This record gives sequence, structure tokens and C-alpha cells, in this order.
Amino acid sequence: MIQLTPQLTTLLSTLTNPMVALSDPAAADPHAAATTAHAVGEVGHGPAWVLLIPFLPLLGFVLNAIYAAIGNKSKLPAWTTVGLLAVAFATTLSMFLSYDGSPYTVHAFDWIQVHFGDKSMIADFSFYVDKLTILWMLFVTGLATLIALYASEYMSNDIGTGYCRFFSAFGLFVFSMSCLVMGDNLLMLYLGWEGVGLCSYLLIGYFYKKPSAVAAAKKAFIVNRIGDLGLALGIYLTFVHFGTLEFAELFSNEKLMGYVADASVGNFSAIPGQAQWIALLLMIGAFGKSAQFPLYVWLPDAMEGPTPVSALIHAATMVTAGVYLIARMYPVFLVSEFALPTVAWIGTITAVLAATIGMAQFDIKRIMAYSTVSQLGYMFAGLGLLTTTGAAFHVLTHAFFKALLFLACGAVMHGFAGQLDLRKLSGVAWMKGWGIVGVTMLIGCMNLAGLPYITSGFYSKDMIIAEAFVTPGYSIIGWLLIVTAILTAYYTFRVYFRVFVGPQHAEPGNEHHDHDDHAHGEEHNHDAGQHGDHHSSGFHPHAPGWAVNVVLAVLAFASIAAISLAYIDKAEHHGWVGSMVHDSTAYFHSPYVEQAHHAAEGTAHAVDGPVGFKAPKAVFGMDAHTAMILITGIGGIFGVLVAAFFHGPKGWQGLFIGGRTEAAKCRMDAVARRFGPIPKMAENKWYVDEIYHAILVAPLRVFSHVLHWLDKLLVDGLVNLFGFLPRLFAWVIRPSQSGVLQGYAVNMAGGVVILLVVVIVVVLRAGGAA
Amino acid sequence: MSEKLALIVPEILLFITTCIVMITGQWPQRAVRQFTPWICGIGLIAAAGAATATPDAVGTLFPALIPYTKVIIAMVGLLLLLLLSGTVDRDIETDVDRGLKFNPINSNRGEFYAFFLFSLTGLMLTVSADDLIWMFLALELTSLPTYIMVTISTKEHKSREAGVKYFFLGALGAATFLYGFAMLYGATGTTNLAGIAQHFATNGISSIGMMGMLVALLGICFKIAAFPMHFYTPDVYQGAASPVSAMLAFVPKTAGFIAMILLLATVGWHAELGLPGEINALLWIIAAFTMTLGNALALIQRSVKRMLAYSSIAHSGYMMVGLIAGPGQSGDPFWRNGIAAVLFYLLCYGVMTTGVFAVLSAIEKRNGQEADDIDDIRGLCKSYPALGWVLVICTLSMLGFPPLLGFIGKFGLFSSGVSSGNIGLVVVLGINSAIAAWYYLGLIAAAYLDSPGDSVSTVTASPFVSRKIAGVISAGCVVLLLVFAQPLIEGARNAAALSPATPNAADHAPLAPDPRHDEDH
Repeated sequence: MIQLTPQLTTLLSTLTNPMVALSDPAAADPHAAATTAHAVGEVGHGPAWVLLIPFLPLLGFVLNAIYAAIGNKSKLPAWTTVGLLAVAFATTLSMFLSYDGSPYTVHAFDWIQVHFGDKSMIADFSFYVDKLTILWMLFVTGLATLIALYASEYMSNDIGTGYCRFFSAFGLFVFSMSCLVMGDNLLMLYLGWEGVGLCSYLLIGYFYKKPSAVAAAKKAFIVNRIGDLGLALGIYLTFVHFGTLEFAELFSNEKLMGYVADASVGNFSAIPGQAQWIALLLMIGAFGKSAQFPLYVWLPDAMEGPTPVSALIHAATMVTAGVYLIARMYPVFLVSEFALPTVAWIGTITAVLAATIGMAQFDIKRIMAYSTVSQLGYMFAGLGLLTTTGAAFHVLTHAFFKALLFLACGAVMHGFAGQLDLRKLSGVAWMKGWGIVGVTMLIGCMNLAGLPYITSGFYSKDMIIAEAFVTPGYSIIGWLLIVTAILTAYYTFRVYFRVFVGPQHAEPGNEHHDHDDHAHGEEHNHDAGQHGDHHSSGFHPHAPGWAVNVVLAVLAFASIAAISLAYIDKAEHHGWVGSMVHDSTAYFHSPYVEQAHHAAEGTAHAVDGPVGFKAPKAVFGMDAHTAMILITGIGGIFGVLVAAFFHGPKGWQGLFIGGRTEAAKCRMDAVARRFGPIPKMAENKWYVDEIYHAILVAPLRVFSHVLHWLDKLLVDGLVNLFGFLPRLFAWVIRPSQSGVLQGYAVNMAGGVVILLVVVIVVVLRAGGAA
Repeated sequence: MSEKLALIVPEILLFITTCIVMITGQWPQRAVRQFTPWICGIGLIAAAGAATATPDAVGTLFPALIPYTKVIIAMVGLLLLLLLSGTVDRDIETDVDRGLKFNPINSNRGEFYAFFLFSLTGLMLTVSADDLIWMFLALELTSLPTYIMVTISTKEHKSREAGVKYFFLGALGAATFLYGFAMLYGATGTTNLAGIAQHFATNGISSIGMMGMLVALLGICFKIAAFPMHFYTPDVYQGAASPVSAMLAFVPKTAGFIAMILLLATVGWHAELGLPGEINALLWIIAAFTMTLGNALALIQRSVKRMLAYSSIAHSGYMMVGLIAGPGQSGDPFWRNGIAAVLFYLLCYGVMTTGVFAVLSAIEKRNGQEADDIDDIRGLCKSYPALGWVLVICTLSMLGFPPLLGFIGKFGLFSSGVSSGNIGLVVVLGINSAIAAWYYLGLIAAAYLDSPGDSVSTVTASPFVSRKIAGVISAGCVVLLLVFAQPLIEGARNAAALSPATPNAADHAPLAPDPRHDEDH
């Protein structure tokens, strides 16, 4: 580590100040003012207690590692983690409450400071706090606390080293995520990015004796590596072009401000190509981490990890890192002509593709995984459509309801010995002790399906879809997203109607649950055994304990309560999330939204907007938002009804319109046969993995075999040859070490004489030549 | 006279200690006898303390050489003392335990410690040398006790054979450099080193003077175990007890290098051309041959001690790169100062090699014989983890593995070689470091990767705790001295500063060809 010299500190402050001053004229420009990204002003220093947020989880990591070392065999790791994370959440909450509207940094220690020539690369271990940071950290620490509590029960089969290992990685994950979200420079973000990738790898491969888990962990790591390469190159290019990695400096950078002003009038030809490439490279990183097409293939397989991990890392937090990256670097994305349109299209394609695959899966956790991919697609579409607010709002609501859905599925998996096949489970909600799971699952499904007005998922999804219709040229995206919303409603309630209602039936999975002695053994549901079609009569599913139920209830409540966020600050910022985004680097004041509103209100004064922007027409003669509330609302209900008809059970005097009387048989089977091979293809994920294998993995494998033999024959041969030469030399001169005293004396005397002769001849030759 | 005495206070203290231990070592009461090593230690610490207070040696070629060099000698000496204590006592005290009366006449335990201190005294006197006669006597005082120590270190036949070989070949080496010294005197009319330098600077180097210098350097090659005087090394190291081998690896080698540094300073290093042509060519050939021979022969050894002996030869070759590079310009940083690199590397080598020999001394075969074969250390990390890790760390350091002590030492040699323009030799040094990796890693693999297997029954811990402590301290130094490397490096740089007043023969124009040149040999 290179220490910062005092001279350099002053140099830096003189560098920073003019930049801030210079950014002011840009902000004063009337055109730029309408569209400019939020300029970061003078960044002050924040309170040191903010450091607790990342470092408490790190402490948890260390403590759990120690527990593992001393062989702890209690629930102590869980309670340590829950306690530390709860304090971290409380700290985040007080960070939110004490935030006075201006961003600040908190310096932990000097990290990387390299000076070359007149340039210097500064990446300190410090944290940057603005409202975007706070928004993300609130749900990261909040959900982490809840899910750790859930895991305290869920992982109790593994109490001992595995338990410590799980919570150790859990703490490390939250630390890394904090570095990613709170880092004040791109290198910190990269550290956190790789850190969460590592934790994801460790936790997917938690059951390391199971080959499929190991393969899934490797797949996640390798696919992410492709994205990470893009991110790394993007970071290099940022430094090369803007000369800084620190957010505070980057977003007050004079060059960037100029580009944003150019971009706002559509003058992309004035922006150097190098600056435009940055966003495209960062975008690849975001696609990898957030599982977007074509890099989404790792996320469904990542469900091999324990369910709390799927809920926290692979649904709620880590996979939203890509959204965060784009939101954080939004000004950089704005100045790239093709980046945001690409993001919008890729997001949409991912949303549709994943939804079609999700429809045909039978493993409920995989269905949830594909729905995560699909919902992430919505978020990316939102980013690409210039509604960072919509994207961030969807991240938030999705975090709650998807965590809820995963945890409810996890409770089922835990209770039925790893059974996840929706054909083998039915009527779970009616079983004794499963009521809370049934109700909360219903709330989660309603949110994911986006039932109008009563779910928060509806509001956030609507905000993105509406934006597609008010943005000129993107209405196709809007329609695709509406179709996806209907599909989503269908496959979500397919799970609900198959697994949670209907005739009670349960076949256990193949996990051996011989742990009757554990904490809630007495709560075992002995009623389940009474049902006639039960295969293994000895199997007793056990209902979830208090920790699981409490967490599910809290999350269900939060999913509903998040509706209120849409109404806070609605007039000014389109909801609370909008007000959070407004004060951050992600803020972008979209001209389209303004104009759409004006057009709907009949006030035409916005028509003279920046060059290249045209006021879009209203949808169906209505304001876009109103129209979307109608269309997506009706679409969502339609999807649920379809699911109810084809998968719903018979009963309740026809209230359930379905006709299913057995777990494995439903009306859909007949419909699916009509579609020929298509359902099978969807079930096989459109053979994307096989295609990747054929065009990428197989040729690489052949190539690596060629290199292997080249290495073995040529390189090893050369190395062995060079290794052999000194030995050969040694065997030749070995006889000189005969052990005979006289021989040694002769050698020595002879050596002296010969050396003297050689030296004198050599020097005379050299002297003679000169 | 009193100024000279002020320079040799450490030697005087060591000499007094020597006289005391000669008596206490033979004392009838066992408690007093067993206190002998402690007295040695106190003497060494006192000598180190006195060395730090040594004033600059005005009028010599390296005025600040004494404090740094004598302190590292005393410190490595303390490590060696930990290793040596008990070597000859064991059999004697076992006899006493069996009820035999302690008979001072038949005991050699007093001499053993006394000879060790005598040898260190000689080494320190070499550092203080400002005269050829003094240097010769000091070098011989360093070596003569070691001949006896090798012989009495074990009761086995091989030690006597080693002692005899060492003595006769040592005499040959001493005769060689004494012959050189005589020629130097003949050429310059003085035995004072500063006087010789003055003579060379004003009159140029005559043929006989050059011849004397070359012969003297070749003779001193015996002390540092360099080609062509290296032949004795493996036999003697293997024949002596491991602690004594460790001492042989450090004490005579240091004496030889100090003597070479002092001798070379009389001709000086030219700012661009380096040493005078003949000397440069001689040292170049010696360095290249020494390291290559040492490493190549080490490759094919199964005996760890022989391997270490050849590695000791190779390390001498490495250090000669620093000698050729010279001290650079006054005020040059450490990495351009080859002499500083040699002084620092001597410390590094002393610590590392003591660590490895300490591991070998701390285990023994069940029949009481020394552990020597590579099979004996197989799986050491599992059977004796502390010793195993000491072996791994010290061996990695000898290999020059960053960021251990040996890496910094070797870095100094490389960088000074490059900055003085001896790229060819540095390439040879690099290739040799790679060859050396082979057998060092083999040693590490045996200790760390292999399982003890059958050898667990053949090797057991020897009853000397102090040897284990010596090993752990060595490994600790290898790791921890990194943190304090800066003061040590600065110390070496200060010690290696040539006196600004030194007349430099090499700065003069090349010598006129001497018609008698060919007749000189």
C-alpha cells in the first residue's frame, strides 16, 4: 500500500474543487438542466458509525469461523449473525433517518493509492452514502436479518461445522454486498462484486458432497466471470477516460457533465467513442450478475444452494447488483448512445424467455428462479426506459415478495424432505401447522402476479410498463411486458393451485430427515399420514417452527405495506422510491414522462422540448399510467383465472373453478398435449444450456485438449530436457568428489594454476585486441 | 595503539570469555559445567554490545564496517551457540549419569566451547584487520579451532576423517593465500592494507602485485568454499555433527568474504569498468563455476547434509556477484551497493542455514545416529510440525522465495549485479536460482507433502530443546526480519561505504603491459 503524501492531498483537493465549480455552468444551461443527471456537489464527511454497517457482518464472518474452529455445536452462530445483522439494520435505519439530503463519504482506511506521473489512482476503503445507497442498504440489511432468522431454523439439520460455515459465508456475503453498494469508488464496488460472487459460489456449493451442487456452483462462478470481465474492462476504461474511480469525483467530472449535456440534445456524435464504450462494458457485468440473457443460465441452477441463500442472494439482493450498478453509473449510461436501448431490449427478451420457461417447469424452486430472472428483466427494461425510479421500486418490492415466495417454498421443501415437484404435493395449506405458510405464499403469489391495487408488485411493475408506452419507439417492449405479466400470473398461481390447495397429498423427497429430536419435533404433523394416497406411510412432514412463520409473516406484511410507498411523495417524485432516487446519481429527469403528462392534460407547452424528443401519443386516449393500470390489472387477473381453471382444485362449490382432484392430474395435461413438443421444449429450457454446450463448451474443450497435449509433449519435454542438463553435468563432474584427500589437493592446486593461466590469457587477449 | 584497542573491544571480551569457559567447562561440579553455554552467551551479548559502540576505524578502507558486521556475527553466533551446546557434552554427561567420575583430563567439553569462541574471535579480528599479517593470523584463528571441532564433534570415524581432510586442505589453502600475501608485500613494500591501496593508486598495479592479489583471492576461496577450493566441503560437512556443519557454513565463509572485501578494496572498483580486468575475470569465472557446480551436484544428493554443503558452495557463488559489483558510488542506495548486498546476505544465509541444520540436529535416528538421509525428514510436518515448518520456511528462504528474508538478500545481489552492468553474470545467477529450486523444493516436498511412512519409526526427536529453539528462532527471523529489514539494509549500506579518502587504483588508466608478465607464473 502506498501512502498518500501530504502534497498529494492538497493536489487532490485543488483538483476536486475546480471540477465542482466547472460543473455549475453546465447545470445552469437550460437544455442541460431539464435532462441533466443529478450533479454531485461538494461531498462532506459522514459519521464514523456508518462503518458499523459493513463491519458488523464481517465480525459475524470472523466469529462464525472461530466457532467452526472450536467445534461449536449449538445455534450460537445463528444468533450471533442475527444479532449483528439486526444491529447493522438498525444502523442503516438511523443512517436513513439522520440523512440530511447531501451525500457524504466515510473513510475507513487508505487502501490503494498509486501515483504515476501527474495522474493518481485513489481507491480508499471508504463508503459513499446517498439516498440510492440508503435505499439498497435498507432492504439488504433488513432482509438479511430476517433471512438469517429463518435460516437459524432451516439449517438446523446441519448444526455443527456446516452451520458455522453457512453463517460465516452469510456474514461475508452481507459485508461484500455492503462494500458493493456503499463503496465510494468503482474498485470498492468491484471488491464487493467479486466478494458476493465468491459467497454465492460458496453457498451454492454448500452441499459440496452433491455433484449437482458443485456443478451449479462452478457454473455460477464461470458464467459470472464472463460478466466480470466486462465490468473490469469498464472500470479500466472509466479510469483511462475520466482519470478517477471515485464516485464523488466522477459525477462532478467536467467531461462527463459536458457529455450529459450533449446527450440530452441527442448530439451523441460529440461524445468520444471511448466514453460510450464504458457503459456497454459495465452493462455486460450487470448482465452477468443480474442473470440477463444470454448470461442468465447460472441462476436457475443456483437453486442447488440452501433455500435461505436462494432467497437472499439469488432473489433479493445480489442479483439486483446489476440494477444497482447501472443506476449508480446512470450518467455514464446516458452518454452512451446504444447502452440504454440495449439494456431495455435485453431486459425484455429475458423477461419473456424466462417466463415461458417458468411456465413449463415442475420444480417449484426453479419456477421461482425463472420468475426471478424474468422480474430482473423487468428491472432492466425499466432502466433502459429511463425510469430508474420504476426499476428501483421494482427491486424493492421484488426483494420482499420474492424472498417471501422462496422462503415459503423452502418451508415446504424443508417439511417434505426436499420435495419440490409440484406434481407430488397438493393441499399443503390445509395441513395442520401449514396455515401461515399457505396464507403468506398466497400474498407472495399475488404480488408476483401483480394483482391490481392490493399488491405492491403491481405498482412497481406498472410503473415500468407505463414508461414503455410513453417512450417513443418502445411500445413493442410495453406489449411484450404486458404479455409477460399475464404469463407470470399464470405460472405463479399454477404453483399455488397445485401445491397449496386441493386434495391433501404429499410424497416425501429423497432427503433423509431422521432428526426427530430437533427443536420442533413435537409439532410434527401426524395428520398427514392419515391420507389414503400416501406412499410412504412412515413419513411425517413437519410443519415450520416459529422462526420460519414469523419471518414469513413479516415479509408478507412488508409486501403489502410497500403499497404505501407508491403514494408517499406521489405528486412530486412518483412515490417514495422516486424521492430516494431523486437525490442520487441515478436520478434522471425523463422528458418523456413530463411530456406525456402534459399531453394528457392538454397543456401543449412542453412541445418545444429538446431537439429529437417528440411528445408521444396517449394510449387508448388515456394517460399512460391509467391505461396501464387497467391493462396490466386485467391481464394479471386473467392469468390467475387461467391458472385456476387448468390447475385449480375442484371444490368449495365451484369457487375454485378448477377440476383437479388428484395431485398429478389436471386439465392442463390435455391442453399441453395439443401443443405437441413445445411444452417439452420449454421444460427443457429451450435447450439453451445444450446450445451453449455445443457452440462454446465443446469447441473449447477440444481446443484445451490440443493445448494439453502440446503442453505435455512439447513444453514438458523442453522443461524436462533443461532439468536434465544440470543433472547430466553433475554426473559428469561427480568423480571429482572422490573423497580421497590427495585427489582433492591435486584438484585444488591444479584448479589454482589453470585459473591463473586462463585469467591471464583472457585478459591479455582482451588487452591485445584493444 | 589505544585507538586500535578500541576497535577490538568485542574480541577482547570474547577472549576473556573463552578463558573462563575453558575452566568452567572442566569444572568438577556438574552445575558449573552446565553453566558454560550461558557464559558463552553472556560473552557474545557483551561483545555485540561493545561492537555497537565501536568508533569508526579512521584510516582503514571501510571505516564503518566493524559495528554492523560484528553485531551480526555475535547474533548468528548466539544462534549457533544454541545449536552447538550439548554436542560433545552428551556422551560425557551420560557417562557421569552412569556413575563414572567426571575426569577433566579425558573431557573435551571445555575446549569445544572455547574453540567455538576462539573461532568467532578470529572472525571478528578479520573484520578489524588493517594489515596482511593481522588478516592472515585472524583467518587462521578462525579456521584452526574448527578443524578440531569437526574432529571431536562426534565419536565416529567419519568425523576424524573429515577433520583430517579439512586440516590438510585448509593448510593448502592457507599456504596459497599466504603466498599471495607475500607477493603483495613484495610488490608494494608494505603489509598495511591502506598502504597497499596507496601504493597501487600512485604507482599502478605491478604484475607481481596483480599476481599476488589473484593468488591470495584463490587461497581465500578455500574459506568461502568456492571453486576451485571447494572440494573438501561436502565431505567435511557430512563428517561433522550437524551443529558444527552449521557453524562451518557461516563462520569461515564470513571470514573469507570479509577478507576478500578488504583485499579487493585495495585495488578498488572503477566507476565504469569495475575491478581491474584480471581480477574481474578471475572472480567472474569463480562465481559462475561455483554456483553452477554447487547447484548441479546438490541436485543428485540424497544426503541432506551433502546437499546443504553443495548449496553452501552455490551461495558463495551468488555472493561473489556482489563482490564483483562493488560498492557503487558513494551515497548509492542499498540496491546498487554490491558489498552491502554481500554483508546483508551473509546475515540472511547464516540465519537460514542455521535453521535448516537446527532441524537436522533436532532429530536423530533411533540408534542415536544423525538424521541425514532425505528419507529421515519425510513427513516431518506431520510427525514434528514445529520442526517441519522451520525446515519449510528456511528452505523457501534459501530458495529466495518472496517475501522471505532470503528473497531480499538475493534481490540485493541481483540488483547490484545489474546496476554494475554484469548482466551476463546475473543471468547465470538467475539460471542457478532456478536449478536450486529443484532440490530445495524436493526438500520441502519431502517434509510437507510426503507422509512419514516407515521413517516415523527411524527418526525421533533428539533430547536437545535448545536446538529446536534455535530452529524456531531462525524461522522466526526469516519471517520477522522482513519487518525490520529496512534498518538492517541501511546498516549494511553504511558498513559497506568505502572511505571517501581511499585512493583507488582502478580509477587510473589501464596499466602499461609488463614485459615480465608471462614469467610470473
